[in-house]
Amino acid sequence: MDDPHRLEAKGLARAKIRGKRRRVREIRRRTIRGSLALFATAWAIVFGQLVTGNDPALSRGYTTPRKLIASKHHGRPPPSAPLPAPEESAEVPAVPVEPESAPEAEFAPELETAPAPEPAPAPEPVVTSAS
Amino acid sequence: MIAAGAASVGPHIFWITSRAAGTAALVLSSASVGAGLLIGRRAGPGKGLGGDAKAFHEALSLATLVAIAIHGLALLGDHFLHPTLLDISIPFTGAYRPFWTGAGIVAGWALAALGLSYYARGRIGQSRWRSLHRTTAVFWILGIVHSLGSGTDAGQPWFLLVLAVSAAPALVLLLGRLIRAPAQPSISR
Repeated sequence: MDDPHRLEAKGLARAKIRGKRRRVREIRRRTIRGSLALFATAWAIVFGQLVTGNDPALSRGYTTPRKLIASKHHGRPPPSAPLPAPEESAEVPAVPVEPESAPEAEFAPELETAPAPEPAPAPEPVVTSAS
Repeated sequence: MIAAGAASVGPHIFWITSRAAGTAALVLSSASVGAGLLIGRRAGPGKGLGGDAKAFHEALSLATLVAIAIHGLALLGDHFLHPTLLDISIPFTGAYRPFWTGAGIVAGWALAALGLSYYARGRIGQSRWRSLHRTTAVFWILGIVHSLGSGTDAGQPWFLLVLAVSAAPALVLLLGRLIRAPAQPSISR
Protein backbone atom coordinates (compact mmCIF):
# COMPACT_ATOMS: atom_id res chain seq x y z
CA MET A 1 0.00 0.00 0.00
CA ASP A 2 2.56 2.49 1.13
CA ASP A 3 5.38 3.41 -1.06
CA PRO A 4 8.61 1.77 0.25
CA HIS A 5 10.37 5.09 -0.02
CA ARG A 6 7.72 6.68 2.10
CA LEU A 7 8.00 3.91 4.70
CA GLU A 8 11.71 4.37 4.78
CA ALA A 9 11.33 8.10 5.27
CA LYS A 10 8.86 7.50 8.10
CA GLY A 11 11.25 5.07 9.75
CA LEU A 12 14.07 7.55 9.43
CA ALA A 13 11.95 10.32 10.89
CA ARG A 14 10.94 8.11 13.79
CA ALA A 15 14.55 7.14 14.43
CA LYS A 16 15.52 10.78 14.32
CA ILE A 17 12.84 11.70 16.84
CA ARG A 18 13.83 8.77 19.05
CA GLY A 19 17.47 9.85 18.86
CA LYS A 20 16.58 13.41 19.76
CA ARG A 21 14.51 12.29 22.72
CA ARG A 22 17.37 10.08 23.90
CA ARG A 23 19.79 12.99 23.61
CA VAL A 24 17.48 15.31 25.52
CA ARG A 25 17.03 12.70 28.25
CA GLU A 26 20.79 12.28 28.48
CA ILE A 27 21.28 16.06 28.70
CA ARG A 28 18.72 16.28 31.51
CA ARG A 29 20.32 13.40 33.37
CA ARG A 30 23.75 14.96 33.06
CA THR A 31 22.46 18.35 34.19
CA ILE A 32 20.83 16.79 37.25
CA ARG A 33 24.01 14.87 38.07
CA GLY A 34 26.13 17.98 37.56
CA SER A 35 23.81 20.10 39.69
CA LEU A 36 23.90 17.56 42.51
CA ALA A 37 27.68 17.40 42.31
CA LEU A 38 27.86 21.19 42.37
CA PHE A 39 25.57 21.38 45.38
CA ALA A 40 27.52 18.65 47.19
CA THR A 41 30.81 20.42 46.51
CA ALA A 42 29.49 23.75 47.76
CA TRP A 43 28.06 21.99 50.82
CA ALA A 44 31.39 20.33 51.54
CA ILE A 45 33.27 23.62 51.22
CA VAL A 46 30.93 25.44 53.62
CA PHE A 47 30.98 22.47 55.99
CA GLY A 48 34.78 22.43 55.85
CA GLN A 49 34.86 26.12 56.67
CA LEU A 50 32.70 25.57 59.72
CA VAL A 51 34.58 22.51 60.96
CA THR A 52 37.98 24.16 60.61
CA GLY A 53 36.78 27.36 62.24
CA ASN A 54 37.20 29.48 59.14
CA ASP A 55 33.57 30.25 58.60
CA PRO A 56 33.05 33.94 57.84
CA ALA A 57 29.72 34.04 59.67
CA LEU A 58 31.13 32.72 62.91
CA SER A 59 34.60 34.21 62.93
CA ARG A 60 35.69 36.61 65.66
CA GLY A 61 35.51 40.27 64.76
CA TYR A 62 32.72 39.78 62.24
CA THR A 63 29.40 40.31 63.91
CA THR A 64 26.73 39.24 61.51
CA PRO A 65 23.04 39.69 62.15
CA ARG A 66 23.08 35.92 62.57
CA LYS A 67 25.08 36.33 65.76
CA LEU A 68 23.00 39.27 66.93
CA ILE A 69 19.72 37.54 66.27
CA ALA A 70 20.97 34.39 67.96
CA SER A 71 22.03 36.24 71.08
CA LYS A 72 19.14 38.69 71.26
CA HIS A 73 16.12 36.63 70.36
CA HIS A 74 17.10 33.22 71.53
CA GLY A 75 19.51 34.02 74.31
CA ARG A 76 21.92 31.54 72.79
CA PRO A 77 25.60 32.13 72.38
CA PRO A 78 27.13 31.96 68.95
CA PRO A 79 27.67 28.41 67.74
CA SER A 80 30.30 26.25 69.31
CA ALA A 81 32.43 25.89 66.19
CA PRO A 82 36.07 26.73 66.87
CA LEU A 83 36.96 30.33 66.25
CA PRO A 84 39.89 31.37 64.12
CA ALA A 85 42.67 33.63 65.24
CA PRO A 86 41.74 37.33 65.07
CA GLU A 87 44.15 38.00 62.21
CA GLU A 88 42.43 35.36 60.10
CA SER A 89 39.25 37.36 59.83
CA ALA A 90 39.98 40.12 57.42
CA GLU A 91 36.44 41.39 57.18
CA VAL A 92 35.51 44.75 58.56
CA PRO A 93 32.95 44.31 61.30
CA ALA A 94 29.46 44.99 59.98
CA VAL A 95 28.39 46.15 63.41
CA PRO A 96 30.80 47.57 65.97
CA VAL A 97 31.97 44.66 68.04
CA GLU A 98 31.93 45.07 71.76
CA PRO A 99 35.40 44.99 73.27
CA GLU A 100 36.55 41.77 74.84
CA SER A 101 35.56 41.36 78.44
CA ALA A 102 38.91 39.90 79.50
CA PRO A 103 40.96 43.12 79.39
CA GLU A 104 38.31 44.96 81.41
CA ALA A 105 38.46 42.33 84.10
CA GLU A 106 42.21 42.64 84.24
CA PHE A 107 42.20 46.39 84.65
CA ALA A 108 39.39 46.63 87.15
CA PRO A 109 41.26 45.29 90.24
CA GLU A 110 44.21 47.54 89.54
CA LEU A 111 41.98 50.58 89.58
CA GLU A 112 40.44 49.50 92.83
CA THR A 113 43.76 48.96 94.60
CA ALA A 114 45.31 52.13 93.27
CA PRO A 115 42.46 54.55 92.77
CA ALA A 116 44.45 57.75 92.88
CA PRO A 117 46.30 58.44 89.67
CA GLU A 118 49.63 60.10 90.21
CA PRO A 119 50.42 62.47 87.42
CA ALA A 120 52.59 64.72 89.53
CA PRO A 121 55.56 62.47 90.36
CA ALA A 122 56.39 61.91 86.73
CA PRO A 123 57.12 65.52 85.79
CA GLU A 124 58.98 66.19 89.02
CA PRO A 125 62.16 64.32 88.23
CA VAL A 126 62.27 65.88 84.79
CA VAL A 127 62.08 69.36 86.26
CA THR A 128 64.72 68.68 88.89
CA SER A 129 67.16 67.08 86.48
CA ALA A 130 66.78 69.93 84.02
CA SER A 131 67.37 72.54 86.67
CA MET B 1 38.36 16.33 64.89
CA ILE B 2 35.94 16.07 61.99
CA ALA B 3 33.48 14.18 64.20
CA ALA B 4 33.70 16.89 66.86
CA GLY B 5 33.34 19.54 64.21
CA ALA B 6 30.39 17.74 62.69
CA ALA B 7 28.68 17.64 66.09
CA SER B 8 29.12 21.37 66.50
CA VAL B 9 27.94 21.93 62.94
CA GLY B 10 24.76 19.95 63.57
CA PRO B 11 22.57 22.95 64.42
CA HIS B 12 23.76 24.68 61.25
CA ILE B 13 22.77 22.01 58.76
CA PHE B 14 20.01 24.15 57.28
CA TRP B 15 22.26 27.19 57.18
CA ILE B 16 24.95 25.23 55.32
CA THR B 17 22.36 23.78 52.96
CA SER B 18 20.97 27.21 52.17
CA ARG B 19 24.41 28.63 51.46
CA ALA B 20 25.38 25.66 49.29
CA ALA B 21 22.10 25.87 47.38
CA GLY B 22 22.60 29.61 46.87
CA THR B 23 26.04 29.02 45.42
CA ALA B 24 24.71 26.24 43.20
CA ALA B 25 21.87 28.51 42.06
CA LEU B 26 24.35 31.20 41.15
CA VAL B 27 26.49 28.87 39.05
CA LEU B 28 23.50 27.17 37.42
CA SER B 29 21.77 30.46 36.60
CA SER B 30 24.98 31.82 35.11
CA ALA B 31 25.34 28.71 32.97
CA SER B 32 21.69 28.92 31.98
CA VAL B 33 21.92 32.58 30.99
CA GLY B 34 25.09 31.81 29.04
CA ALA B 35 23.41 28.93 27.23
CA GLY B 36 20.37 31.09 26.49
CA LEU B 37 22.52 33.84 25.05
CA LEU B 38 24.37 31.30 22.92
CA ILE B 39 21.06 30.01 21.57
CA GLY B 40 20.00 33.55 20.73
CA ARG B 41 23.33 34.21 19.10
CA ARG B 42 23.05 31.20 16.87
CA ALA B 43 19.64 32.28 15.59
CA GLY B 44 20.18 30.99 12.06
CA PRO B 45 23.01 28.57 11.37
CA GLY B 46 24.01 25.35 13.15
CA LYS B 47 20.62 23.68 13.40
CA GLY B 48 22.07 20.39 14.63
CA LEU B 49 23.05 21.65 18.05
CA GLY B 50 20.01 23.89 18.47
CA GLY B 51 17.79 21.26 20.07
CA ASP B 52 20.50 20.08 22.40
CA ALA B 53 21.39 23.61 23.46
CA LYS B 54 17.73 24.34 24.15
CA ALA B 55 17.37 21.16 26.19
CA PHE B 56 20.50 22.08 28.13
CA HIS B 57 19.21 25.62 28.71
CA GLU B 58 15.86 24.31 29.90
CA ALA B 59 17.41 21.73 32.23
CA LEU B 60 19.77 24.32 33.69
CA SER B 61 16.90 26.76 34.22
CA LEU B 62 14.83 24.17 36.06
CA ALA B 63 17.83 23.13 38.15
CA THR B 64 18.36 26.81 39.00
CA LEU B 65 14.77 27.16 40.18
CA VAL B 66 15.08 24.06 42.35
CA ALA B 67 18.32 25.40 43.86
CA ILE B 68 16.69 28.79 44.54
CA ALA B 69 13.76 27.06 46.24
CA ILE B 70 16.12 25.02 48.43
CA HIS B 71 18.15 28.17 49.15
CA GLY B 72 15.08 29.91 50.55
CA LEU B 73 13.22 27.02 52.12
CA ALA B 74 16.25 25.62 53.94
CA LEU B 75 16.39 28.83 55.97
CA LEU B 76 13.03 27.96 57.52
CA GLY B 77 14.76 25.19 59.45
CA ASP B 78 17.53 27.39 60.77
CA HIS B 79 17.16 27.93 64.51
CA PHE B 80 19.41 30.97 64.65
CA LEU B 81 17.93 33.21 61.97
CA HIS B 82 14.53 31.63 62.43
CA PRO B 83 12.82 33.39 59.52
CA THR B 84 9.14 32.99 58.81
CA LEU B 85 7.69 32.01 55.45
CA LEU B 86 6.85 35.68 54.92
CA ASP B 87 10.45 36.70 55.64
CA ILE B 88 11.77 34.47 52.88
CA SER B 89 9.01 35.10 50.37
CA ILE B 90 8.14 38.79 50.66
CA PRO B 91 10.93 41.19 49.77
CA PHE B 92 12.32 43.71 52.27
CA THR B 93 10.46 42.33 55.28
CA GLY B 94 13.08 40.10 56.89
CA ALA B 95 15.39 41.04 59.74
CA TYR B 96 18.54 39.83 58.04
CA ARG B 97 19.95 42.54 55.76
CA PRO B 98 16.50 43.44 54.43
CA PHE B 99 17.67 45.31 51.33
CA TRP B 100 20.07 42.70 49.99
CA THR B 101 17.86 39.80 50.98
CA GLY B 102 14.90 41.59 49.44
CA ALA B 103 16.84 41.98 46.20
CA GLY B 104 17.45 38.24 46.23
CA ILE B 105 13.78 37.48 46.83
CA VAL B 106 12.76 39.76 43.96
CA ALA B 107 15.33 38.07 41.73
CA GLY B 108 14.18 34.62 42.79
CA TRP B 109 10.51 35.26 42.10
CA ALA B 110 11.26 36.97 38.80
CA LEU B 111 13.51 34.15 37.62
CA ALA B 112 10.82 31.65 38.56
CA ALA B 113 8.11 33.57 36.75
CA LEU B 114 10.20 34.24 33.66
CA GLY B 115 11.59 30.72 33.55
CA LEU B 116 8.24 28.99 33.96
CA SER B 117 6.59 31.35 31.48
CA TYR B 118 8.29 29.21 28.82
CA TYR B 119 5.53 26.65 29.33
CA ALA B 120 2.86 29.28 28.85
CA ARG B 121 4.36 30.97 25.81
CA GLY B 122 1.49 29.75 23.67
CA ARG B 123 -0.89 31.87 25.73
CA ILE B 124 1.47 34.78 26.17
CA GLY B 125 2.42 34.94 22.53
CA GLN B 126 5.81 34.03 21.15
CA SER B 127 7.13 37.54 20.52
CA ARG B 128 5.82 38.92 23.81
CA TRP B 129 7.29 35.95 25.65
CA ARG B 130 10.65 36.51 23.95
CA SER B 131 10.83 40.14 24.95
CA LEU B 132 9.81 39.16 28.49
CA HIS B 133 12.37 36.37 28.54
CA ARG B 134 15.15 38.80 27.69
CA THR B 135 14.68 40.57 31.02
CA THR B 136 15.86 37.37 32.73
CA ALA B 137 19.42 38.69 32.52
CA VAL B 138 18.47 41.70 34.67
CA PHE B 139 17.24 39.44 37.46
CA TRP B 140 20.23 37.14 37.09
CA ILE B 141 22.44 40.19 37.73
CA LEU B 142 20.21 41.12 40.66
CA GLY B 143 20.84 37.64 42.02
CA ILE B 144 24.58 38.19 41.76
CA VAL B 145 24.20 41.54 43.54
CA HIS B 146 22.20 39.76 46.26
CA SER B 147 24.92 37.14 46.68
CA LEU B 148 27.59 39.80 47.03
CA GLY B 149 25.49 41.99 49.33
CA SER B 150 24.11 39.43 51.74
CA GLY B 151 26.01 36.25 51.00
CA THR B 152 27.89 34.96 54.00
CA ASP B 153 30.65 33.70 51.73
CA ALA B 154 30.77 36.83 49.58
CA GLY B 155 34.24 37.73 50.79
CA GLN B 156 35.66 34.24 50.52
CA PRO B 157 38.22 33.67 47.77
CA TRP B 158 36.65 30.37 46.70
CA PHE B 159 33.26 32.02 46.30
CA LEU B 160 34.65 34.94 44.31
CA LEU B 161 36.53 32.50 42.09
CA VAL B 162 33.39 30.44 41.50
CA LEU B 163 31.44 33.61 40.77
CA ALA B 164 34.05 34.93 38.37
CA VAL B 165 34.45 31.65 36.50
CA SER B 166 30.72 31.03 36.17
CA ALA B 167 29.40 34.55 35.61
CA ALA B 168 32.14 36.07 33.46
CA PRO B 169 31.37 34.10 30.26
CA ALA B 170 27.67 34.92 30.51
CA LEU B 171 28.45 38.58 31.21
CA VAL B 172 30.70 38.73 28.15
CA LEU B 173 27.97 37.16 26.03
CA LEU B 174 25.42 39.57 27.46
CA LEU B 175 27.61 42.56 26.72
CA GLY B 176 28.16 41.22 23.21
CA ARG B 177 24.41 40.93 22.77
CA LEU B 178 23.79 44.44 24.09
CA ILE B 179 26.43 45.90 21.81
CA ARG B 180 25.16 43.99 18.81
CA ALA B 181 21.49 44.61 19.49
CA PRO B 182 21.22 48.22 18.29
CA ALA B 183 23.08 47.34 15.11
CA GLN B 184 20.89 44.39 14.23
CA PRO B 185 17.42 45.09 15.59
CA SER B 186 15.65 42.79 13.16
CA ILE B 187 17.57 39.61 14.03
CA SER B 188 15.68 38.99 17.23
CA ARG B 189 12.36 38.79 15.45
